[in-house]
Amino acid sequence: MTAGTRLSGIALPVFTALVVVFLFLPIAVMILFSFNDPAGRQNITWQGFTLSNYVTVWSRPDITGPLALSLIIAAISTVVATTLGTMMGIALTRYRFRGEGASNLLIFIPMTAPEIILGASLLTMWVSFGVERGFGTILISHIMFNISFVVVTIRARLSGLNRSLEEAGQDLYADGSTTFRKVTLPLIFPGILAAGLLAFALSIDDYVITLFSAGRTLTFPLWVVGVSRLGIPPEVNVLGTLILLIAFLFIAVQTWSGRRAGRREAGPVTMVGR
Amino acid sequence: MNTRRGWIPYALLAPGTIWLAIFFAIPMGYMLMVSLQEGNLSTGFDLTWNFAIYPEVIAQYWELFVRSIGYALMTTLITFLIGYPMAYTIAFRGGRFKNVLLLVVVLPFFVSFVIRTLNWRMVLSDNGMVFGTLKDLGILDPAFHFLATPASVIFGLTYNFLPFMILPLYVALEKIDRRLIEAATDLYASRLQAFLRITFILSLPGVVAGSLLTFIPAVGDFINAEIIGAGNPDSIMIGNIIQFKFINANDYPAAAALAFVLVIGVMALVAVYTRLVGSERLTES
Amino acid sequence: MSDVPRHQLTPIELAIERAMRQDRINRRAFLGRAGRGGIALGAMLSLPALIAACTPSGEGGVTIEWANWPAYIDIDEESDPNPTPYPTINAFIEQTGINVNYQETIQDNADFMQTLLPDLTNGNATGWDLITPGGWVVQRLGDLGFLEEIDHSQLPNWSANAADYAVGQWFDPDNTYSMWWQGGITGIGYDPNLTGREITTFDDLLDEEFAGRVGGFSDMRDMFGLTLLSLGITPENATIDDVTAAQQKLLEANERGQFRGYYDNSYYDALAAGDLVACVAWSGDVTQMALFDNADVQFVIPQDGGMRWNDNMAIPKGSTEKLAQTMQLMDYWYSLDAATTLSEYIGYFTGVAGVQERIEDDAAAARESGDEETATQLEVTAASVVPTADQIDNTYVDKQLDEEEEAEWNALFLEVLGG
Repeated sequence: MTAGTRLSGIALPVFTALVVVFLFLPIAVMILFSFNDPAGRQNITWQGFTLSNYVTVWSRPDITGPLALSLIIAAISTVVATTLGTMMGIALTRYRFRGEGASNLLIFIPMTAPEIILGASLLTMWVSFGVERGFGTILISHIMFNISFVVVTIRARLSGLNRSLEEAGQDLYADGSTTFRKVTLPLIFPGILAAGLLAFALSIDDYVITLFSAGRTLTFPLWVVGVSRLGIPPEVNVLGTLILLIAFLFIAVQTWSGRRAGRREAGPVTMVGR
Repeated sequence: MNTRRGWIPYALLAPGTIWLAIFFAIPMGYMLMVSLQEGNLSTGFDLTWNFAIYPEVIAQYWELFVRSIGYALMTTLITFLIGYPMAYTIAFRGGRFKNVLLLVVVLPFFVSFVIRTLNWRMVLSDNGMVFGTLKDLGILDPAFHFLATPASVIFGLTYNFLPFMILPLYVALEKIDRRLIEAATDLYASRLQAFLRITFILSLPGVVAGSLLTFIPAVGDFINAEIIGAGNPDSIMIGNIIQFKFINANDYPAAAALAFVLVIGVMALVAVYTRLVGSERLTES
Repeated sequence: MSDVPRHQLTPIELAIERAMRQDRINRRAFLGRAGRGGIALGAMLSLPALIAACTPSGEGGVTIEWANWPAYIDIDEESDPNPTPYPTINAFIEQTGINVNYQETIQDNADFMQTLLPDLTNGNATGWDLITPGGWVVQRLGDLGFLEEIDHSQLPNWSANAADYAVGQWFDPDNTYSMWWQGGITGIGYDPNLTGREITTFDDLLDEEFAGRVGGFSDMRDMFGLTLLSLGITPENATIDDVTAAQQKLLEANERGQFRGYYDNSYYDALAAGDLVACVAWSGDVTQMALFDNADVQFVIPQDGGMRWNDNMAIPKGSTEKLAQTMQLMDYWYSLDAATTLSEYIGYFTGVAGVQERIEDDAAAARESGDEETATQLEVTAASVVPTADQIDNTYVDKQLDEEEEAEWNALFLEVLGG
């Protein structure tokens, strides 16, 4: 082992840890202030420790309702957009066909267009077709802006991916769908996961486009932006903290069960793409 | 290249394409018409094919376009410098924690941007935990401030777009066959050379994807200039102008025209970029 | 949603609800009395109920769909939200049998107006029966014929109790379309320890000594209003030349980086943290800040004048069949009971005469019962829910801009913002 190896052996994990600290710095403050006991409307100066926010939050349907709705919309739009986007990504990297250029254009432009224009133009369409705004229109708009992000991420996975495995699979199973399920899907799964995470983050945090497609329905970002005029109550921090907690529990369980499954599989795996 | 069954790519593309055609292309087509209208709310807007609006808004706001592109380029560069080592570590050192680390990268963004930025403002305030400490230690001038400066806008963009760089980089790095790297390490004298000639080249699709996912939305961003940049007149972006024209001034034609200038400009840059890095070639397998 | 089962109230919750209604106790006082927690977990909602809470309901009878700003009403955090978490609205529903679907969907005046306009220009109903926007939105929508007229004969409480300053506003001189909801004053907030001297005028804010350490507002009307006043011009009568002069004054200030930024409500934490030594500010915010976040910060109405603002109840076009019921709800807020409960909780300027006295009575009652904390808080609230004569004399209102003027003013202001 050279000196360079040892250096990068330490430097990289340390750097990664620092980036994680950077990412979570504001989140740590958020968690801290979920235990704050502010006497006024604003929750920006530390005034004493309390757990009561974790109790009172459950009798604030004005906050929990929009959050539940945002979570549901994010989950559904992530699943749909990831499915549609993955299909498009496969088509664009695995096949050569007429109209590729036009498809590329259709994928990149939605990321370029300012949100206000996307949102307002959609509202005009809903109004002119007499579509009642609410859950459905929010969902449609979120799927729309998520697709592009999914396609680009999936393509990063697929392009340059060694195809010999898939070809071997085709020889083995002779059936396209089985090859896809047993070979292609596991190969691109990290891409699907990454794309899904990005889509979820985009959806749960969207303000501008949602504003125009929401009608009388209220999502979490809409509520939070509104309440920031008078001061964000600590219950909002509580809910943010709980989301993180649930996600951490979820991955803890995943990792734990993954480790057990990993033990059953013998030996180091140096397979392409895993 | 699979050309045996020509209908398959179209079948795969159809659902997503139809979705984007109905819920994106049609409304945007309408906006294109709006950009060519004249009028106001009380008299209504009439389509006068006012193409002159385009040179007008470009002449008026070209500096802000340039500034926004500059900010977005800086953001892309910084997120790349932070994101690449991070993605590399997750992909090659992550072991069974790969997915955990991936989720950790995105988790802060499951919390509303209003909360994230409010807390950043508390951390980064003039005498807050970062700069207050540095000032107490005498490292920084007491008059130094960070929020409401161009640097703070780029900082906000960097923070908020970091996952959009890291995740695509990760998915590209993670697929690289380690045996190739081992072989290269044997072949080339230094590890750096091996990295540059093999790992980096093979991760290029991720670099392209990550930089596009960061750069493209960052150019049109307005929220960071508004709440980290605090509406400082020297650091607002073109997105803020579009926002103001549309929301506050009811000047829909100008807002739409600015948006299309932005779309076309960014698409042109993207075309040049993908040609330069040769992603056309890279996307072939 | 129609078929969400109603949660049965437990005896404890019933007792609390009764107490909330009878005593008009405020939230903090209540927390002190009932002790924290305990009850609330029982009121935890099921997922369907959560979704129902943020989608329009359609129970039997009339339901008024009301869009308001978040945190702009009294809320009962402790007991079961049934039918709403807002005690005053519950009381209205009980009294009248009219349902209210209260939605906290206004995030920003301009944003909100943009979401309504496409429907209104197409002659559609907006889905809202009652909205609560700022004055200029009322003016703009009224001018465009997008608001229903109010029938004053159906407003006994308003006729009897409306405060003088709350009627005949600049944007709606005859209250044709609107009634005052809550209001406040835009002036200057500053920390004398950091400025080292008193701030008394808008020009003090422009003192080069403070370059880069003061904040402006991103709101065109507030910012031009204060600047015009500093030039000795009453905003209501300002001509385009006057506004251009005001713009020049602000652009000169920009040249030397006078304003660190043109803030939205995020000025609050910048001012409280001391990043800004002084900033354009809302009176209600600075009261909060002084009480809870930074005792040093003071509010001042500039000697050359501050700006008055208020939000208003109005009925968008298309809500014709519920007009009578909506006006009943609007008038309800002019009953002393409802107005007092509301003001004790949110503490902005009320439009109802007599509220201040009622809050003072409550403060005295709290003092008698030995609850000093509540008494003090109510006394502070009582003093701030009504503008003083001085405040009214030295504050001004926005100009009633026609559309062309508004476009010109906006264009000028966009340059100030850096465009």
